[in-house]
Amino acid sequence: MSGIAEQSSTRSSSGAEPPGEEKKSPAPEKTKPALAEAAVAAPPRLGKALGLGFGLGFWGAILMLWFAPVLREWTFAILPESKFALQLRTANLPQLQKEAQRLEKRVAGWRKKHELLTPRAPYLIVNTSENRIRVMKGLAQIHEGMCSTGSYVLLKSAAQQRQWMFSTPRGMFYIRGKKEAPVWKKPDWAFVEDGLPIPSPNAPERFEYGVLGDYALELGDGYLIHGTLYKRMLGMPVTHGCVRLGDDDLRIVYKNLQMGSKVLIY
Amino acid sequence: MTTSFGAALKKAGQAVIDRLIRPFQFLRQSRKSLILFFSSLLVFPLTIGIAVVFLPVINNPFEAANANELKDNIESAPDTTSAAVITSRRELGKKMASMEVDHAFWQSRLQLAKSDSISLALDLIDSLVSLDVKGVSMRRSKILRYRSSGLAKRWRAQGRLHQWLATPFIAEEELATLPKAPIRIKEAPKDTIEANESKGEDLPIEQRDAEFTLHFDRNLTLSVEQAQPPSLSGRWREFLYDLRRNFDAGRDAVIALLHGQLPQHRMWIEIEIPREDAKAIYRALPSHTGLALRL
Repeated sequence: MSGIAEQSSTRSSSGAEPPGEEKKSPAPEKTKPALAEAAVAAPPRLGKALGLGFGLGFWGAILMLWFAPVLREWTFAILPESKFALQLRTANLPQLQKEAQRLEKRVAGWRKKHELLTPRAPYLIVNTSENRIRVMKGLAQIHEGMCSTGSYVLLKSAAQQRQWMFSTPRGMFYIRGKKEAPVWKKPDWAFVEDGLPIPSPNAPERFEYGVLGDYALELGDGYLIHGTLYKRMLGMPVTHGCVRLGDDDLRIVYKNLQMGSKVLIY
Repeated sequence: MTTSFGAALKKAGQAVIDRLIRPFQFLRQSRKSLILFFSSLLVFPLTIGIAVVFLPVINNPFEAANANELKDNIESAPDTTSAAVITSRRELGKKMASMEVDHAFWQSRLQLAKSDSISLALDLIDSLVSLDVKGVSMRRSKILRYRSSGLAKRWRAQGRLHQWLATPFIAEEELATLPKAPIRIKEAPKDTIEANESKGEDLPIEQRDAEFTLHFDRNLTLSVEQAQPPSLSGRWREFLYDLRRNFDAGRDAVIALLHGQLPQHRMWIEIEIPREDAKAIYRALPSHTGLALRL
């Protein structure tokens, strides 16, 4: 910048031009302050360039951070594939052949072992998401039907200071009991839900006949597979955690599932 | 009419361009400021680019191999020059790599079968996803489409993919467009009259889109998308979900950098299955579920 100022001052003080010409053109008089102004204004311009560059660069960096996973994927596509390790492993052919045979046997063994985990005896699969059941034997399906499972209602009782979650548990269960013409012993929540006072544990009003259908299969912890009076609700999540079935489906399930049979709920 | 409209549009476009380039016009006047501008412009993106793009790519844990080991192996090999041997070695190498992946998959599945909790088996070779409990498949779904990270191809080419797949993956975090359990809170009625009134209430019908992402240990991310196009509200939820996913990735990278560590590239897999399958699978999976993977 000082260079520009110096240049302008040398030009004006050179005195090379004839005096007559100097009178005709007053331009050097006017450029002198303009150039001086430019010399003063120059340093902030560099600061502005720097600020603008950093500002835009910052947002560029944010964008780069945002798209880093995509950019890394592109880099993987561009980089040549290194087969170094594969070459390393396949260098010794006879050894590799032996290893391949051994591995083939082992994979077959694992697969067989896994297949054996599927029960040969009939078992039940309950789908709580779509409220459907499947009776299976090995990998074959014997029967398919509708059911009702937990409603996911969280019942809160301010008076009792208690709460109950009406959901069907998920996982693997076993048939722990089978009953014909079951009687329902109403738990506390059944009274709370109906706005009734809770009776003593063995009070006669706790026992209800005929509401669970013809059969009931126990899964443990009070959860049952049973029938229902509300058949139009089948296929919907309306129960207090038990699995409700229609009469025909219940008969098939009761007939096929024995004590200890597996019930898979998801 | 058309020409005047075109001219007006051109004029407006020119005005916008002028406005956009006006702040940069001063750069033309000085070469020094131009250089300074470009160097300052590149500082941040280059630093971030090296830290979060370049270094994580070259810092691939399966990339390094011992050169001496290779040399010894080649020297001990009976014949490495014949074309037939080279071809059979390559074929055998590929077969071996795929068998090792199978071995890792079945081994992981059996390991997961030992636990009581519900797990996931993802077989990208046969395009199947299975919801398992104690080794029994409860639900199988055909994968309609899938995409995976380029990293998988690299590891496969190196014949080292099975090392990564050897044990089950365990989920650490999840993100979904639908709740894990559709819980409804109900206050207990005060008396039988209130109880009878509430009995007439309609059941809410759930029409949510089902998309979810599971972040597993060992840098694996699995995204499950529904095959059906999402609803309008679902699109908005999906947009927020994608935004959150990208934000999480950026946040993780920044946290890693602040701790003086290199952000790691996540190995990702995206699968597309029917909505009902996606919903059933997501609802059934426990929070720290296990995954056996074959790819």
